Amino acid sequence: MKTFSIRIGGEAGQGLVSVGNILLQAITEEGWYLFSHRDYESRIRGGHNFTQFRLSTEPVHTWEQKIDVLVALDKVTVDQHRQDLKENGVVIYSPEIQGKTIDEPNFVAVPFIQVAEDLEQPKVMANAVAAGAIWALLDDDLGVLHTIFAAMFSSKGDDIVEGNKKVSQAGYDLVREALDEREKPTKPEQVAERFLIAGNPALASGALAAGVKFMSAYPMTPSTGVTEFIAGHAKECAVVMEQAEDEISAMNMVVGAAYAGVRAMTATSGGGFALMTEAMGFAAAAEISVVVIDAQRPGPSTGLPTRTEQGDLLYGFGMSSGDFPRAILAPGDPVEAFYLMGHAFNLADKYQMPVVVMSDQHLADSYETVEPFDLDKVVIDRGELVSGEEAGADYKRFALTESGISPRLLPGNGPGLTVAAGDEHDEAGHLVESAEERLAMMEKRMAKMKLVEEEALAPVVFGDDDPELVLIAWGSTKGALRETVGILQEQGKKVKGVHINQVFPFSKELEPILNGPGTKYVVESNYSGQLQKLLGMEFAWKPDGSVRRYDGRPLGPDYILERLEGGMQRG
Amino acid sequence: MADTKFPTTLKETAWCPGCGNFGILGAVSEALEGLGLEPSQVLFVSGVGQAAKAPHYMAGNVLNTLHGRTLPTATGAKLANADLTVFAEGGDGDGYAEGGNHFLHALRKNVDITYLVHDNQVFGLTKGQASPRSDPGQVTGTTPQGVSMEAFNPLATAITLNAGFVARSFSGNKEHLIKTIQAGIQHKGFSLIDILQPCITFNKINTFKWYRSRTYDLNEDESYDPTDREAAWKRSWEWDDKIPIGVFYKVERPTLAEAHPALEQGALVKQDIAKESIKKLIEGFAVK
Repeated sequence: MKTFSIRIGGEAGQGLVSVGNILLQAITEEGWYLFSHRDYESRIRGGHNFTQFRLSTEPVHTWEQKIDVLVALDKVTVDQHRQDLKENGVVIYSPEIQGKTIDEPNFVAVPFIQVAEDLEQPKVMANAVAAGAIWALLDDDLGVLHTIFAAMFSSKGDDIVEGNKKVSQAGYDLVREALDEREKPTKPEQVAERFLIAGNPALASGALAAGVKFMSAYPMTPSTGVTEFIAGHAKECAVVMEQAEDEISAMNMVVGAAYAGVRAMTATSGGGFALMTEAMGFAAAAEISVVVIDAQRPGPSTGLPTRTEQGDLLYGFGMSSGDFPRAILAPGDPVEAFYLMGHAFNLADKYQMPVVVMSDQHLADSYETVEPFDLDKVVIDRGELVSGEEAGADYKRFALTESGISPRLLPGNGPGLTVAAGDEHDEAGHLVESAEERLAMMEKRMAKMKLVEEEALAPVVFGDDDPELVLIAWGSTKGALRETVGILQEQGKKVKGVHINQVFPFSKELEPILNGPGTKYVVESNYSGQLQKLLGMEFAWKPDGSVRRYDGRPLGPDYILERLEGGMQRG
Repeated sequence: MADTKFPTTLKETAWCPGCGNFGILGAVSEALEGLGLEPSQVLFVSGVGQAAKAPHYMAGNVLNTLHGRTLPTATGAKLANADLTVFAEGGDGDGYAEGGNHFLHALRKNVDITYLVHDNQVFGLTKGQASPRSDPGQVTGTTPQGVSMEAFNPLATAITLNAGFVARSFSGNKEHLIKTIQAGIQHKGFSLIDILQPCITFNKINTFKWYRSRTYDLNEDESYDPTDREAAWKRSWEWDDKIPIGVFYKVERPTLAEAHPALEQGALVKQDIAKESIKKLIEGFAVK
């Protein structure tokens, strides 16, 4: 697959986001498939951040380390990133920022601010200069940028729209003059209908489609995008999003709302998840259906707030004290994020238990061109509910049943009463101490786990049926895994990729894969190999090796291939 | 009492004979019966502690949650189903220690629930340790040298944060307690009722007799204006020789529900999924 990657580096608050937004729109409107990820620091101004765009005429699901174009909006970008340039890669830089001109092949000087000022336009239009300069390497036509400027700035007046057009043309011309004969990436011919979306809005819209009615959360990077999305659309979607004083409160509000009968959720990251675990245990004891998104970031503690890791798996697995039914889903891309939210709510409602959806910063913030979401594919199953009439006056919330599922009467639909407690309780929900009642209730709850296991999602598998190498990964590593498999297959190797999107309980279909042909490697973004440990625990299994990344940066095919070739870490 | 919809003799209680909790249980039952409510319309969200067991001994929906978490849980339930009459109920340890942060923010949020605090100034269930309401100097199992901290003043705190309905009552004064609970339910917004509740086993100072000789109803004085925030705040510091009970402070403020446009259409749990809006929203992700 031929792809073309552009990396733009700059300080926070310096226009990186604006240039990024213009390009994001322009690239997708021209019909290219796109994967765009962000690498940013935990600050509002300054520091060094970058955004990368990888485009192709075919779908792209991950990023690549090597880039075709480097755009330096700050002084450090050139030195920090030039080693990643592909052969013949271009650097667009500004002598005024660099403090010098750089006389090397493929370095193009574009004094962003000066160009704007020379045309008697405000400094802020340096962003449009940069966008025009980048566009010169992609396309012969600036028309698409002009359309975007018109849409973005029409409310600010024609002068602003025209100014942006003018300066972007100047940026474009500077690059064209310097590198006129350069080959540009192939342009797509036929453009299918598609979405451009990142993990956070995909999770949030998946929740809305699944009928979430209540959310409470405390802002925490990188989950805040979900919270703000739901809050921003709460009015027209008839949803309540209540910001809590802390994550303890957020989770308990969710529990209260879910008990009252609505689909309810929260979103957080590791440290906030820690504060929620008490109430998740309560939800398990009182058999209340709750969904929690954990957008992972590197821990322990505050860790690297704006970066990525898959280090919460075992913590999510052991989410609270005691034994209780639970499920953990791990979407690998925005499409899975959208549909798995619906599945998470169905599992929570059917089995009256907490369900965790594990995302991470890489999934949360990365934009991807994907197939359109189909609302008709979203099935809503609220599980066993009874009306007031069916329940009768002697309704028992925790009636002992063969399946372990006790039909729910939502409070307020009496005459029956819905009594639930975190203490051990009898069928009616009142507190008990006897060993017999404890056994009955514990076994009733745990009986549900058998059904949860039977319903576990089968892994997503790509590549060869009779592999010599099997790569096993979970969550946001899906894109990197898929591309790695593709590259190795092109090299003539027989490879299978296994993406696990339900990490607890595991699908039984994993067993023949784990014990089948091929050398097995577990690929994940954490230090200790948490998926590997959990697989080992559940299947008494050990892989032949592992690839792990824990520097806070996302796994990509380059990293995985390098480790595979380099002899790899032995698991 | 035999024909009440809210009988209080459904279960054997875990309380000591003569416990101050019995008076509160009886008063809640009579207050609800008096307002003509049905048990299925009422939800008690309680925490952990001897007080938090109260809802199990009466008819009503019950969500007996974690220690200190009654207020957020009750807030979530009320936001999800505004048609329920929602109580949060627990002790002073539950609400003012473990749930202290939630208490502050519930006062600010002004969700339309009634918070009943069984205030016995000790931790009863764990056998008599100091609570935030224990007076300085009080010797307990965890404070052998005596409590070194200032006692927490829930009323002053609530008035400071402009809570909608701030009251104190006494478990030994049933009529006053019934009246205060009913006023709390009828108040639109957050109602705090701090209830003096003697712990006959672990608190030998603040006994029924001690309170009976000190409490007086501040609302009997017609010149007392419960809308005067400053006067209410000053009165909330009166303690020791004379202890006021009654409604200290009342103010009408927008409730939390009014901050959520979705709730203009009625109880959230009764609303359908806004399919058309969601469809439109999702179509917004389309590139072309």
